[in-house]
This record gives sequence, structure tokens and C-alpha cells, in this order.
Amino acid sequence: MKSPSLLSSKIYAICTLFVAALLSLFAGISAAKEADLSGATGSISLEVFSRLSPIEINTIHSWEIVLSDGNGPMSGATLEIVGGMPEHNHGMPTQPQITEELAPGRYLLEGVRFHMPGLWRMTASISTAETQGRPPSVVVIDFTL
Amino acid sequence: MTPSPTSSLSKPPRLSKFSKIGFALGVIASLGALGWNYFSVPTSAQWSDEERRLIASLSLDQLPPLRADPSNAKADDPSAVALGHALYFDKRLSANGAVACATCHKPELMFTDGLKLAVGTSVGDRHTPSLVGLSYSPWFYWDGRKDSQWSQALAPLEAKHEHATTRSDLALLIKSNANYAALYEAAFGSLPKFEIPANSSPLGDDSERAAWQSLSDEEQQSISIIFANIGKALAAYQRKLVPGRARFDDYAERMLRDDSAKVSQGDLLSPAELQGLRLFIGKAMCVTCHNGPLFTNHEFHNTGVLANPGELPSMARYDGIRTARLDPFNCLGEFSDADNSECIELRFARDTNDLVGAHKTPTLRNVDLTAPYMHGGQIADLAAVMRHYNEAPTSMLSHNEAKPLGLRPPELRALEAFMHTLTAPLATDSRWLKAP
Repeated sequence: MKSPSLLSSKIYAICTLFVAALLSLFAGISAAKEADLSGATGSISLEVFSRLSPIEINTIHSWEIVLSDGNGPMSGATLEIVGGMPEHNHGMPTQPQITEELAPGRYLLEGVRFHMPGLWRMTASISTAETQGRPPSVVVIDFTL
Repeated sequence: MTPSPTSSLSKPPRLSKFSKIGFALGVIASLGALGWNYFSVPTSAQWSDEERRLIASLSLDQLPPLRADPSNAKADDPSAVALGHALYFDKRLSANGAVACATCHKPELMFTDGLKLAVGTSVGDRHTPSLVGLSYSPWFYWDGRKDSQWSQALAPLEAKHEHATTRSDLALLIKSNANYAALYEAAFGSLPKFEIPANSSPLGDDSERAAWQSLSDEEQQSISIIFANIGKALAAYQRKLVPGRARFDDYAERMLRDDSAKVSQGDLLSPAELQGLRLFIGKAMCVTCHNGPLFTNHEFHNTGVLANPGELPSMARYDGIRTARLDPFNCLGEFSDADNSECIELRFARDTNDLVGAHKTPTLRNVDLTAPYMHGGQIADLAAVMRHYNEAPTSMLSHNEAKPLGLRPPELRALEAFMHTLTAPLATDSRWLKAP
């Protein structure tokens, strides 16, 4: 027969492991994934969470773009994204488009593909119902692939 | 008294000061020309971090497993592969019984034909591209007018200068041949019961179109489904054709494994080949388009290659993307197995003016076995290809994306030498390289 003290120490160890596993799970959920790319203009900030991370050439994929300003998530914004290589004076091989607002201020950009290594520049033009009739806010993000 | 002739001969003629300068300049110019043409400048003995990153990105070790094709549910089905394999080598898939897929895409020539222009039932207007690794591409044909490998496989079958057959004759062959019928039904389900007529196609000549029009909508649909599935079987077979490890890949692997930035390591690559690699990923800017483990970005570029004499310059991808969008056999069409949401390449493809005259970047793997080069086979050999990119001539249509490189002859030879490091037998079981 096993001694009660040995049994209780085993139960204690299992409980500790269980609590540790739970804690690590919550830590994993609560630790927000870092944006792959980000940029800002005025009070507007734009974060890119690529569904292909790290971003690589020659693979078509989607981005989730999170827009926020001083008041929180920017819902219902019109977002146009144009990409290109400033050093080669040409654009992307695709014409990515926003197809859905997944959650307030979180937009789905489909059809993203890069076809060359080097410096890329993504230009996002952002307008909202409040800014109609005025030039859109522009966020420029440079990155190297 | 006359002077002795011998005394005048014994005295060498005096060179004027100007002649001496001219002679010296001539010697310097000759040495300069020799150096320009024949002597390489020693390059750094180290790779930079950026160079190492690019070399790693080109290695075959970076090639991911082939992804599923959502538009072809049978892309990896063994019965579809076996059917496609048999059909690929079958000359009955042509009006004159003399043309199979393998007639132009020959296994022994890395699935090319060695000709300037393809010859099916007659001479075509495009050079035969290799099929090796092509399953990784989202676009097919030099002008990208097809968006899947199965849809591409259909067009030559009914093209008058290629196989010149009709979709009803193909359906008839599948149904009447016990082996084909069994493989077909194992992969794609039952064949239709009605009697399939010969010589009927919506794309044929007057009599073939008339015969097609005499069929009911259901009969036309049934035949077109068999036709589409023949394409899907041929694509399933072609997915087996993948490149093998070449000397370059061994070099890249060793360099990265040893974590050494030294350029010269053993005898895997010669000094000229190493210099060519450095130029390829640097000054010559080849890697701009010939990137990734297949040495292609699968995209379309205008590089100022002139049309063949007597031929109008091609609008190329500018027209190709428009044709692809209208194709009944595209990813969004009724014969595709994909949800519309999965047809991302077709839905978001660019169609802008800068695609005028833009042809597809071919793979460079095994490039020394696939001469001649370019969409019309315009350039005979690799040395001439290097000269073409060095000069970057003005394009007949739109503009040449490439810029003159100013490379010297030894540099061009080094680039050419590097091309030879990309040659290797396919990583494909030998049974796929011949008729079953």
C-alpha cells in the first residue's frame, strides 16, 4: 500500500501541473499577436496582421488590417491599399481589395502577393463618413522582403 | 659621291614623338580591351548577410510541398494520376494520330522540344515551355491566359495547330477504351450512357460546330465534363514532375549548414560559377524575377524581347488576364471544383496597361537543357540571353522593365556558368518519365 504522504504529494504535483498548464494557456490567449507591419498618420494608426506570417514572396494571402484613432476602432471606414516597389517604379502583381469588415475597425484585405525581394511600399488611403469631401488620410508603410 | 645603301639601312628610322605616343596608347588600349574581355575582377571572399539570405531563398530546400488545387478535387487522386499518365503519352489524342502531349513536352528534354516553335499537327507561334515544377504556378501559358494546370491542358487538345481533336472524340476514346473507362470512373464517377458522337466541338470548324449544336444541352454538358476531367487527370500527372537537387542546392545547403560566410568552399562550385551567383543575386538583378526555389516569380514582365519576324508583337498578359476571366474552364466556372472564395488569384489579378507585352518568367532550373529561349524561341543560346539582358533593348510595345546592366564579357560568361549549376535529374520516379 502506498503511503498517504506519497499519494498526496503526487496529487499536489498533478494539481500544480494542471494550474501551470491553465495559466500558460491564458497567457497565450491574452498575449496579443504582434502586428506584422504598422504605420500611422495624425491620430490614425494602422496595423497589419498577415495571415501568412512571416510575409514571403510568391504566395498569395490575406491581411487583417486594424484601424484605430483617438476614439478607438475606426468602423465603417473606406480603405484603399496600393502596393509597389519605389526603387523599380512598378506595382504589385495583384490588385488587393478590402472585402469585409471582420469586426469593428478590423478589415480583411484579400489578394496580397509580392513577387520580388526588396523594398516594398504599401500606401493606405483612409476615409470615413465624417471626412467625406476632404482628401483621405494616407498611411505609408515601407518594408523589405 | 653617293651614300652607301647599307649604311642607310643599318640606321633604323627614327620614330617621331607623336608616333611613340600613338604606339604607347595602342598598347594600353589593347591591354585594356584584353582586360575588359577576359580578366575578372576578384570579388569579395565573403557573402554578406543579404547575399546569404537570397542564396537560401533560392535553394530547393525552401520549396514547400505542392499545395492542393481547390479547382481540381482529383489533383492527387491515384486513378486520376494513372489516367493522366497514360493520356499524356497517347497519340490518339490528336486528329492525325501523331501528336501526344509528350510530342512537344518531351521527358528527355526536361519536357520541352528543343525547337524554336512548337510543332503539333502544324507549326505554332510559341516556344514550348518546360512542365517541370509548373504545378506551383498560379498561371499558365506565356501570356497567363489559363488559371489552372487542368484548364491549360484542355486548350492544346482542340487547338488546330496542336492536337486538332475535338472534345467529343476525346470523350469517345475514354468511354470506348476499357482501361481508360475504368480509371476514369474510379476517379471521376460514372461515364454517361448516351452514345457520344464523333467530331463535335463548340470550338471546331463549321462541321464540328454544327455537330455540336445538334446535341442537347445535357449531352453537351456531359461531354464537356469528361473533357474537363481529362484536363484534371493530365494535371494530376504533371504534378509528379518536380526538379531535383542541383549542385547549386548542395552549395547553398553546405554554406548555410556550416554557417560560414566564406564564398569558396570545396569544389562544389567553380570560381566562375560563384562569381555568376554573386552577379545573379546582385548587380545583374536576375533574382528580381527569377526568385524562389524554382527561380521564377510566376509573374509577367516585358523584357524587350522582339517578336519573331513577320509577327506582330504580342499584347501578352494584358490580353491573357482578360481571356482567363472569360474562360468557361476557369476557377470560377461551372467545371471547377473550387468555391468562388478560393479563386483568389483570378479574382484579384492585376490587368493594368503595364502588362502589355509582358510574358511569363520561366524557371531557370535545367535551363541549359531547354534551349532555345523566350516565348517565341527568339534567342538561340544562353550566351545570347545574357547579352540580351545586358543590352536591355527598347521594347516594340510598351516599355522594357529591364535596364542595361553594363556587364563585361567575363561577367556574362560567369552568369552563364552559374546557369549550369541548376541542372539535375528530376526528383520524379522514372516510371513517370515514360509511357505506362
